[in-house]
Amino acid sequence: MPATTKGLKLVDILTTIVISVVFGIIYKIWGPLYYSVKPLGFHIDQLIYGMWFIAASVAYLLIRKPGVALLAEIAASSGEFIMGSEWGLEVLIYGVVQGLLAEVVFAAFRYKRFDALVVSLGAIGATIGSLVMDFYKGYIEALAPWNLALFLIARFIGAIVISGIFAASLVKALEKTGVAQMLRPASKDDYDALDR
Amino acid sequence: MKWNIHYRETWLHHTNPSLKLMVLLLLFIGVLFVHNPNVLINFSLGLLLLFMLYTGYPWKFLLLFFLPFFLVFVSTASSMILFGEGKTTWFRWGLIHVTEESFLRGMHLGFRALSFALLGLLFSLTTRPVCLFYSLMQQLKLKPKYAYSFLAGVRLIPMMIEEFQTVRNALKVRGGVNNGLFEKMKRYAIPLLSQSIRRAQRIAVAMEAKRFSDDNERTFYYEIGFGKNDIMLVVVFIVVTAVAYYAGVHYPYIPVEDVR
Repeated sequence: MPATTKGLKLVDILTTIVISVVFGIIYKIWGPLYYSVKPLGFHIDQLIYGMWFIAASVAYLLIRKPGVALLAEIAASSGEFIMGSEWGLEVLIYGVVQGLLAEVVFAAFRYKRFDALVVSLGAIGATIGSLVMDFYKGYIEALAPWNLALFLIARFIGAIVISGIFAASLVKALEKTGVAQMLRPASKDDYDALDR
Repeated sequence: MKWNIHYRETWLHHTNPSLKLMVLLLLFIGVLFVHNPNVLINFSLGLLLLFMLYTGYPWKFLLLFFLPFFLVFVSTASSMILFGEGKTTWFRWGLIHVTEESFLRGMHLGFRALSFALLGLLFSLTTRPVCLFYSLMQQLKLKPKYAYSFLAGVRLIPMMIEEFQTVRNALKVRGGVNNGLFEKMKRYAIPLLSQSIRRAQRIAVAMEAKRFSDDNERTFYYEIGFGKNDIMLVVVFIVVTAVAYYAGVHYPYIPVEDVR
């Protein structure tokens, strides 16, 4: 193992990728669900769009290191791609952009806060990333204004609920299983506990 | 992706994976800037032809792979057709407002989704993940610790699917109350994730012991280079793009040049 503590170690990378592959499977299952509710209209589908940002949130909350959110989104989207996503190459690019913008949010907090609020903001970042792509790809600006507003509101709410609040509660439940302790760098509390 | 389907290897299987990925990503980005439906329709047809002739899979599987893409086509096109803005009204019913412009834009989006899907399928059906990551390390200098972690992750997919089924069966046997979607997702996600984390830790220890994290002067089991198939790949895609563009501009199907 390299002596430096900078950058991600193999353990971090591998764990992030393996978690993300689990989400990749979910992302893949999410595809058919997404386009089967889409014809219902009124953008009900956008409420569940937020699932595609969850890998970044969960990986960030679990591993708590710079870069894992981006890596997680890339890994999850490549997993989805390798399993034969209906959207093909598109998912890779979306994954990169979404992960990047979630990462920016986490960086803005200097990787020091790990709660539902931060991941909700991260989810909003990822949503903006997906919208940037949709703007180029899907001409979403050409939807009727009421329809576009509905589209945006539904996507933001879905992202916050799924990749913010739900992701945080998922990680809380995982902490109870004891696996989270294996992953995290020793925190200040741990050192304080030694001094006591 | 490894399928247990017998397929014939074509020249597309023997191209350099990194080059193929780069070419297809470039085309992907190029398609984002195509606003002429005629060009896009031609381009999708060209890709469809490559997909049918050179992925090497039997016809019935190709049709099976293609089915979900058709659904994506319909679902992508529909919201723009029904709710898009435009001037020439064809049909109005309550909130639904179909115009000539929104219809064309919707169809354009459908074809765009189709061409993305085909680009993706052309890649994933003709590339083994192992070759892809070896090539990324050798040609694009991806760090080995990332590439090998990805490969380990890919290898775990079947195991995870099996675990998913085990959890599903276990939950079925135990029965239990239905307390909503999120609770249900948690019941699946927590055992799968915790198990994956434990497994990842064990694999990482083993990999580090075998110096998979070492970057200096690695040698590779698979040496991946370039060959004449790679020239063919570049030429074929240039020809498809050029023909699609020329024919789309000079022999249009519909007299519309920009759907925006």
